[in-house]
Amino acid sequence: MKTASRVSSINRRTLLKASAAGAALAAFPAPLIAQTKPFAGVTLHGASFQHRFFTLLQKYIPEFEEKTGMKVDLQLSSLPVYNQQANLELSSGGSAYDFVNVTFTLATRWIAAGLLANLDEFTGDANLTPAEWNPKDFVDGAQVTYRDPKGGTYGFAWEGGAMLMGLSRMDLMEKKGLKIPKTFDELQHVCAEINGTDGVSGLVSWFLHNWNLPPYIQGFGGNIFRNPPGDPMPALNTPEAIQGVEFYAKLLKSAPTGVLTYTEDQARQAMLTGRANIFIHSSAWVTPILLSEESKVKETSRVVRSPAGPVHDYPASNSQGIGIPKNAKNKKAAWEFIKWALSKEISMRLVKEHGHSSICRRSIITSDDYRKLNTVNGQDLGALYLEVLEMPGKGDNYMAYRTTKEFPIVGDILNKAFEQVATGQLPAKDAMNAAQDQAIAALRRAGTKL
Amino acid sequence: MSESGIDVERRRFIAWALTPSLIVLFAVAVLPAIYLVVTSLTPFQLTTPGSATDFSEPFRNYSLLPGDPRFVNSLVVQAKLSVASVLFQVLLGTLLALLLNVPSRFVEFARTFFLIPMVLPPIVVAVIWKLIYAPDISPLYYAAQALHFTLPALTSNVDFALTSIIIADTWEWLPFTFLMVLAALQTIPDEYSEAALVDGANKLQIFWYVTLPFITPILVISGMFRLIDSVKAFPLIFLLTGGGPGTLTEVTNYYAYLLAFDTNEIGYSSAVTVVMLLLVCGISLGLVWMGRRKEALA
Repeated sequence: MKTASRVSSINRRTLLKASAAGAALAAFPAPLIAQTKPFAGVTLHGASFQHRFFTLLQKYIPEFEEKTGMKVDLQLSSLPVYNQQANLELSSGGSAYDFVNVTFTLATRWIAAGLLANLDEFTGDANLTPAEWNPKDFVDGAQVTYRDPKGGTYGFAWEGGAMLMGLSRMDLMEKKGLKIPKTFDELQHVCAEINGTDGVSGLVSWFLHNWNLPPYIQGFGGNIFRNPPGDPMPALNTPEAIQGVEFYAKLLKSAPTGVLTYTEDQARQAMLTGRANIFIHSSAWVTPILLSEESKVKETSRVVRSPAGPVHDYPASNSQGIGIPKNAKNKKAAWEFIKWALSKEISMRLVKEHGHSSICRRSIITSDDYRKLNTVNGQDLGALYLEVLEMPGKGDNYMAYRTTKEFPIVGDILNKAFEQVATGQLPAKDAMNAAQDQAIAALRRAGTKL
Repeated sequence: MSESGIDVERRRFIAWALTPSLIVLFAVAVLPAIYLVVTSLTPFQLTTPGSATDFSEPFRNYSLLPGDPRFVNSLVVQAKLSVASVLFQVLLGTLLALLLNVPSRFVEFARTFFLIPMVLPPIVVAVIWKLIYAPDISPLYYAAQALHFTLPALTSNVDFALTSIIIADTWEWLPFTFLMVLAALQTIPDEYSEAALVDGANKLQIFWYVTLPFITPILVISGMFRLIDSVKAFPLIFLLTGGGPGTLTEVTNYYAYLLAFDTNEIGYSSAVTVVMLLLVCGISLGLVWMGRRKEALA
């Protein structure tokens, strides 16, 4: 009985202690939760265009929500739809989004119009950003677009694109005694020689001519504008630009019928099935000939640097960034998300767990793990990617033409002019002279002072 | 007095009954149109703060339009597309209706089958034709290859790009005129053609002197509807040609879309749209006037 009474008394005490502790918790719950989950109750609204990076990131977001206590509402739509929505939202001073994708071609416009928050305020504060996050780890060539003229940072790159050349039928080239082209002339020669052999086209491309064409114009020493971004006077009818247009139009004579309306997917498919020999485009579209399970040409493929022009070797590159709208309601929470999404840890997990290689952190791209995963048939794809991605950040930012706010107008006119040349409607000189006049008139109409 | 009082009451009742509909109509149709016209008087650009309320040069956009070669070209392309597609739709629709205006179970099934393109969402129609026109996957190209015949890429060929849009548009909307004409044909009393037959008329004469006068008003109405609607051939152009090659298939609404959403020139794009709206209204009123004049003369 004594024993039973003692047991009963301990139980009562325990019960009392537990009740007291429970009451204390009930009385002061918020500070305790706040210590562990500083963003509890916050719903973070973000938007971007649909991309594999975000699809993969969505798998990790529950971990972030668990860690921080916030909810992430990420809206993904197609690129044109996203660009229109974000442009309208930001331009009208809206606060619907806490973080947004800063589209490469819109970046300069958004930054110049003051629509984005300066992220240096976050990276410069040790309380908000630990030193190991290291903003300088992002490849400079990918970051240059997200800076204002004073060097302020308005976005961090989550995706990089570096123009490389994929060759899917090295077997045919070897049979014909052809070597990998390193110059424009060699490229023209190889494409013409291969075209039609075993039903294979010499080259494939896709409909966005204002992306595919400028490397040739620049290769001959021309540019889209006279001196972007400072001088946005179009330079479409310079002898070098005309030469570039003529060259690319001639090159497309070795492409499949209907290439002018080909989508990226059609071009990629032509490569994966070995129906076209050469594709010059961003690494993410070219490397599948070596990496994709769908590829029927893994054994006969090579990925190399795209050929250099007689004047410049300017392979195109781009990046996409994440930024915070100036009028966002939850800027600190948004920064917490950006910091996490672009952390070394998440970047490495994307590489290791999903083979996602188009990231922009140098320490990851140069790591052994990355190299091991991205070296195929002895070809170090990571080194190629990094080399091209870095180029605009070294000296001449030759990709500046694409991020000037005048580019959408001039780029559209360039597309039309090129199609007129490629389909034989006009000689290159006439088409580019007309394009120059139209571009000047359109820019003046839009209020640009030239 | 009392009659007049009833009339007043009736008018008041009608006014009250109509008011909710008019308010809704004003909100959904008139207000956006007013906003469009107001915007067309500004240099509104999404990334230029204050441009939406800048009325310093209200007619600048309109004065620039005649000197814009792409705008002028887009009107010409639109005219070509509208005339050709409406003509084909009316002619083929009539022909098909004449062929299928017979009592038969098979024909009834065929009629239903012919209506499918019209009820498909326009973007689906565009995707279907994209597949037909894509040289690397199209059965059309495989068939041509099997017959040792080389087809050009229809949507990027200078000679065929616009024709490829006209074919797709005709395929989509032919059932509309077919349906209208078929309904009209079924209202013609048999006595007229029987009498003509007794008088020795042949089939062509019966069609020309009996059938055609009966269906002419329907042909005019369906042609008018299609003409107005042909201005909206946006999905086909967006998906099949992107206005190209060059500007060969760039119609006015596609140009307005590019201005608004690619280059952010909302003000100028609104001016283009207003002009397009006025042209469509003008054509519609012209056709209505012609119809009434014909009725009056008859």
